[in-house]
Amino acid sequence: MYFAGVDIGSTMTKIVIMDGADNICSRIIGPTGPEHRRLANKVLIEALEQANLSFAEIDYVVATGYGRVNVPFADRQITELTCHARGVASLFPNVRTAIDIGGQDAKGLKIKDGKLLDFVMNDKCAAGTGRFLEVLAETLGLELEELGGISLESTKKIPISSTCTIFAQQEVIARISEGLPLEDIVAGVHAALAGRVARMVQRLRVEPDVVLTGGVAKNIGVVKAMKENLGHGILVPADPLLTGAMGAAILGKELVSKAMAAGELIERKERYLEEVTFFK
Amino acid sequence: MYPLRAKVDETYARSVEAMKAGKPTVWAMVNWWEGDVILKAMDLETVYPENYSTVCASAGTAESYLNRADADGFPTHLCGYSRNTFGYTSRMIKELGAEIPPEAPMGGMPKPVLLLSSDSVCDARYKWFQALGHYMDIPVWTLELPVPGVQELFMDGVKEQCISFMVEHLREFVAFLERLLGRKIDWDKLDETMKLVEQLSRVWHEVNELRKARPCPMHGRDFWSAMPASLFLAGDLSDTLECYQAMYDEVKSRVDNGMGAIADEKYRVVFAELPPWHSLGFFDRLAERGWNIVIESWNYHPPIPIDLTGIADPLERIARFTFQWSTGYYERALKDGEYLGYMAYPYLVFARDYKCDGAFLHPLITCRSASTHLHYTRELLMRKTSVPSIIIEGDIVDLRLFDPEDALRKAEVFEETMEHYREVRKKEGLDW
Amino acid sequence: MTQGSKGLAEAKEIYQDRPRRVKELKAEGKKIIGYPCIYVPIEMMTALDLVPYRIYGDIREPVTEADRGLQTAFCPIMRSAFDLGLKGKYDFLDGMVAAHSCDPQEKCMRVWMSLIKYPYTHFLDVPGTLHEGSLEYFKGQLIALKKTLEAFTGKIITQTGLREAIEAHNLQRALVRELYDLRKPDPPLISGAETLQVIKALTSIPVEEGNDLLRQVISEVKERKNGPQKKPARLLVWGNTMDDIAHTETIEGAEANIVMDDHCGGSRAYRTDVEIAEDLVDGLADNYLVKLVPPRTFRVAVLGETRKDWAADLESRFGYIGEYIKGWDVNGVIMQLVRYCDPHGFEQPAIKDYFDSLGIPSIYLEHDYSEGALAPLRTRVQGFLEVIGQKA
Repeated sequence: MYFAGVDIGSTMTKIVIMDGADNICSRIIGPTGPEHRRLANKVLIEALEQANLSFAEIDYVVATGYGRVNVPFADRQITELTCHARGVASLFPNVRTAIDIGGQDAKGLKIKDGKLLDFVMNDKCAAGTGRFLEVLAETLGLELEELGGISLESTKKIPISSTCTIFAQQEVIARISEGLPLEDIVAGVHAALAGRVARMVQRLRVEPDVVLTGGVAKNIGVVKAMKENLGHGILVPADPLLTGAMGAAILGKELVSKAMAAGELIERKERYLEEVTFFK
Repeated sequence: MYPLRAKVDETYARSVEAMKAGKPTVWAMVNWWEGDVILKAMDLETVYPENYSTVCASAGTAESYLNRADADGFPTHLCGYSRNTFGYTSRMIKELGAEIPPEAPMGGMPKPVLLLSSDSVCDARYKWFQALGHYMDIPVWTLELPVPGVQELFMDGVKEQCISFMVEHLREFVAFLERLLGRKIDWDKLDETMKLVEQLSRVWHEVNELRKARPCPMHGRDFWSAMPASLFLAGDLSDTLECYQAMYDEVKSRVDNGMGAIADEKYRVVFAELPPWHSLGFFDRLAERGWNIVIESWNYHPPIPIDLTGIADPLERIARFTFQWSTGYYERALKDGEYLGYMAYPYLVFARDYKCDGAFLHPLITCRSASTHLHYTRELLMRKTSVPSIIIEGDIVDLRLFDPEDALRKAEVFEETMEHYREVRKKEGLDW
Repeated sequence: MTQGSKGLAEAKEIYQDRPRRVKELKAEGKKIIGYPCIYVPIEMMTALDLVPYRIYGDIREPVTEADRGLQTAFCPIMRSAFDLGLKGKYDFLDGMVAAHSCDPQEKCMRVWMSLIKYPYTHFLDVPGTLHEGSLEYFKGQLIALKKTLEAFTGKIITQTGLREAIEAHNLQRALVRELYDLRKPDPPLISGAETLQVIKALTSIPVEEGNDLLRQVISEVKERKNGPQKKPARLLVWGNTMDDIAHTETIEGAEANIVMDDHCGGSRAYRTDVEIAEDLVDGLADNYLVKLVPPRTFRVAVLGETRKDWAADLESRFGYIGEYIKGWDVNGVIMQLVRYCDPHGFEQPAIKDYFDSLGIPSIYLEHDYSEGALAPLRTRVQGFLEVIGQKA
């Protein structure tokens, strides 16, 4: 049997196709722009090709993420909160706290035995998201991918106001003009982001194992700063962007298994491999 | 001015001593003498979390308390003072078994026996102490201060109903204190204390009247330094009275000699509402440019004096006194057809009486009650007196939000605006 | 009344075009008095044949004028209402009565009344505590309101007139409670969205017309075959006034039915009746100060207590919601409030602790009272439902 998890995020679309033994048959990550969101079906086609499967062979499709509504090729939509929890737990069975820092939002998940118990979200303020790093990387004239490594060279963090991305930008410009070491400024930026996220997550009472996911988890500077802020070790999956899609696929599998065990037919929508629309 | 400021600072040390000596401490909201006179008469050490939170903010400890409050589930839009206090209390009670946190500035605030809140000025001020029940089982009393409508106050009997409501309320409060503490109030002492407060307040009022002179002899900075001793009734009141009398003499002699508080008074400015306590030095830079803060912060000013002689009951004198503080400008407001008769309307009187060229308005992001009236004040001053306003934002606990460089730049530009509106007022026939 | 529609359809029409009926009545010579809050005793208006009309904001209208008198960081509901006032949307009102129920309402209405002069305005002070003196004072405030209403209309509120008005409004409350009882079955016979529309319609028309509407709605709902679907989640929504079905949609659009509410656009105005006391104003004072439940009133387990017991405190403040949870078989609570609301904001986390003590899952949602603010709420609501669904 095959299951597809489709995670249409605000910045990236991620698709994972898994088999009944939780092996990943294919994985695709592509950007979500206004056009791409509509064309999420094309990303699925790519994933099918990579897995050498046809659409009909997929037994269940779960859509998740910001763009999960009105995905005509999905059987079900489940929030990214539950999907991430499931996906992270499949990789780290002892996870109790998962933190996902995406391009435009951040989430904290409290998990036990693979189940989501509670959550906090920030989708209003750029300061605790990938966007913060993007804006400041630009201000500093650096590539996003370089940031983490540079921050690790710092010996002395320069505190940056973390209330607001705009203020932080101004502060960074001021620090640059003062001639302070670049790596120290960058370390300060990472500390600000981590502080912001940590404050949000602490409402859940952080317990280990703590797992960090999302595009920002690839930044070693952020991982270090989060460790410092939370006082716990931070685990990061090999593919930190895929946990949502993985969780979606696994949840699809679990829904089908449950139905089969009960001798019922799984409820499936009429699904078509068509463009996504956002209008009913 | 500095001895006066030092008096307030001493209260923290005294309350810690009191706690160590087993004496009860009260955490109180600023209550404009309504409850304070009674607490003072009963020798209760009182600290003010609103004031303490500004101390924490200046000392840099607020941030960790705010983070704690966040983690404990308090919404982030709540009053910054309250969140600082939640965080402080959380640390004290949950982590330290009710011991004062070692990092707490100025000796900290000991665990109290009573939380005295007030429903005047804003909702946070009584909901916040109620919410402290999350950490400590301490009785809470909410003082009532009625605020009828501007028109409605002058209807038959309404004012007297307000006063008798307050008097009865205060009588109940005293009975409550006696039950709580297991001792009786000394009514004579209460009477004396209130008499001192009235005298103190009258002198303080006279000092501020002197500031109508040109040039103004006392700058807002000195007002803010000296004010806490009156608002918080700290220390020995006769002592405080003497200090204020000395201040009166000093300010009077300046007026007699035509001396201003600053070298060259170019702009007479009214300031609203709460000052940036941590950055008062900023006003020195404005003073160098000729900005004299001639009047400010309505909520910190004493009530316009009323004659309370012949009123034997000290509770009634307290009630009338505090009620006068909040509604003393209502009559004029009614004549002007303006219904935010406290908070905002007094600034119209200030602008006229102190002949102000401009208003410096300082909204604070997490103190909405000290900021809400400012937009309307700006509109009111322009509409009625063609006095322009400059708006410079800040916060009570997140001090980074006040940017002195940016403020100075805006102030420079605003000088032209003030000069322009002088011409406008001349044309309109106003005399300043 | 409105194009021959009846029951739920009529409620919906009124909801969509609220001023229509009062404008008709105005053309017939009636006077319309606006009020922003359930703390205003509208019985007094009815007794003088004035038509009470509730003032709301509008989540679909961008706020563009309000800066004239109010800052941005301010209750968005009152800011929106004030904005509408400045834009002339409430110019048809002959007067306004505001109550000091909360700080933003108090400040906003004073500013509003200063900037726009209606033929009649009155500010009703409401004390914060429930001491006997508070009740006395509030009664005095009600008598002052009575006097200015009489002066405005040139008529006197008679004992009979007031009693009849109170009875009519009490009847409306009883009918609303009867309607709310129809949310107890599983599935409820009327949805949260439909209930909201009915309540909002009631606040737009005279009390007798509202009672007629309610009777029709109740009999229609009892008979209907096309009511809400059965869903696993039976939710109670607590918090600020919800006045737009876009809000209920973010919740009921996920797999949930809103079966009960505790907010000022829902049950709060209809929960208790005005007792017909010998002095009718006593009954009004008691209902409008003591019995109304919003958290703006400072409540303790025992008045003047010198010992505090947090559990007793929570029970005295929130026990009535526990009754709702039992009575309506609620299995989840949405605590929703607009940003900057202090009376409700300071109830967190105490009220969450209370729900935890009952074993009822709850989620805190904060929003900006604008249509654009709703999408993120959907994810949170759905996430919440997924969490509680797992327990099933």
